[in-house]
Amino acid sequence: MNSFSPISIISFITLVLGQVLIFNHLHIFGSINPIIYLLFFVFYRFESNQTFLILISFLLGFSVDILSQSGGAHTIASLTIGFLRPLIIKYAFGVTVEKPQSYFSDSRTLNKLIFLILLIAIHHLIYFSLVYFSFDSILLIIKNMFLTLLFSLILIGITLSFYPNK
Amino acid sequence: MQRILNALLQFRNPIIYFFLLALSVYFSVNQSPFHQYSFQKYGFYLSSKLYYVKDALGSYYDLKVINQQLLKENEQLKEIELSLVDLSLYPVDFKQPKRFPFKVKRANVIKNSYKNQRNFLMLNIGSDNGIQPEMGVISKNGIIGVVHSVSKNYSSVISILNKDLKINVRTKKSPAFGSLVWSGGSPLEFKIEDIVSNAKLSLGDTLITGGMSSYFPLGIPIGKISKLNKIKGSGYYSVDAILFNDLSQIYYAYVIENSDFQEIKSLQKNISQ
Repeated sequence: MNSFSPISIISFITLVLGQVLIFNHLHIFGSINPIIYLLFFVFYRFESNQTFLILISFLLGFSVDILSQSGGAHTIASLTIGFLRPLIIKYAFGVTVEKPQSYFSDSRTLNKLIFLILLIAIHHLIYFSLVYFSFDSILLIIKNMFLTLLFSLILIGITLSFYPNK
Repeated sequence: MQRILNALLQFRNPIIYFFLLALSVYFSVNQSPFHQYSFQKYGFYLSSKLYYVKDALGSYYDLKVINQQLLKENEQLKEIELSLVDLSLYPVDFKQPKRFPFKVKRANVIKNSYKNQRNFLMLNIGSDNGIQPEMGVISKNGIIGVVHSVSKNYSSVISILNKDLKINVRTKKSPAFGSLVWSGGSPLEFKIEDIVSNAKLSLGDTLITGGMSSYFPLGIPIGKISKLNKIKGSGYYSVDAILFNDLSQIYYAYVIENSDFQEIKSLQKNISQ
């Protein structure tokens, strides 16, 4: 997925609508809503323009926030993930000679898993911290973070398994 | 300029990130009352710490101004205190408010001496502030002296630690009066001359100004009687006194202006002619 390709625009819209219309209403075990739009950060090619990613991640979180009428936690979490993604890539895949061009061009499963877990965990940590926004509910934040992380990871893993490795 | 632009371009990602972050925090705070409240709580905590530091610093630098204000207040209070002394010299007329001709002006002592036999002080106000020769000078708990000469911005004061200066005093209980003279030793030890021996005095009596000198109003406390002897055959007491006010340690002074001074002076001239 390149910066301005029509596919990226379509996937952007699909992810936002999917998040707002379907996954925000799942309520697994009463309160867990997996977050699907993080797929965008997986699809976005690793060597593509970083500045553009920050802007588009802001827009992504903002759209979800506006459409689901949440306070702004999605915007901040998604924006931060957009900003931190190069660091996460560096940590998950290592600084090697053959730096992967995208998520799908790498064949190491463990590194991919670490990348996904880091991406989702950081996002969820920021998201739930902002939703509860209090030191007293830190246990609640961590519990929610891990449960939602589990379901988001399963969902994103299933979705990614439809795409073949290049 | 080129360098600034280069730096901006180089750090464009963090700049954009923090800008958008601030924007989203701003909007999210505006949107939910809970977040607004929490933010205000943290903001209040921070700002209270900040203002505490600022106040701690500021109060130190404000001390000078506060001192000035306190002195001004003291000046007014001193005037009231002096006018409230209600002894027989100023009989209260029930129909008219008591006439009190004295006014108080505050001053700083900028030079002081107490080791000579004739000591002088210098004050930082002069004829521009309405100071004239022969005005009384007092401090917060006693008298200091009498203005001797005046220049535009300064005035020199004959200290009561001066062998030539005699101050009219009396005790609080007895109206018998005498003259306070420095004995020339410690700045606290004084002698009182010319108190007739049939006056009722006792040890520890409080000495106050007598109000007969036109320098000082009646009733400023000065000191205590520390030694009392009747001199046989002379008809006078020999009285030693200890002052309340240590003249070697003064910084602030109040100059007393007597608006009736010229009137009294001219009357005295008539008598002596």
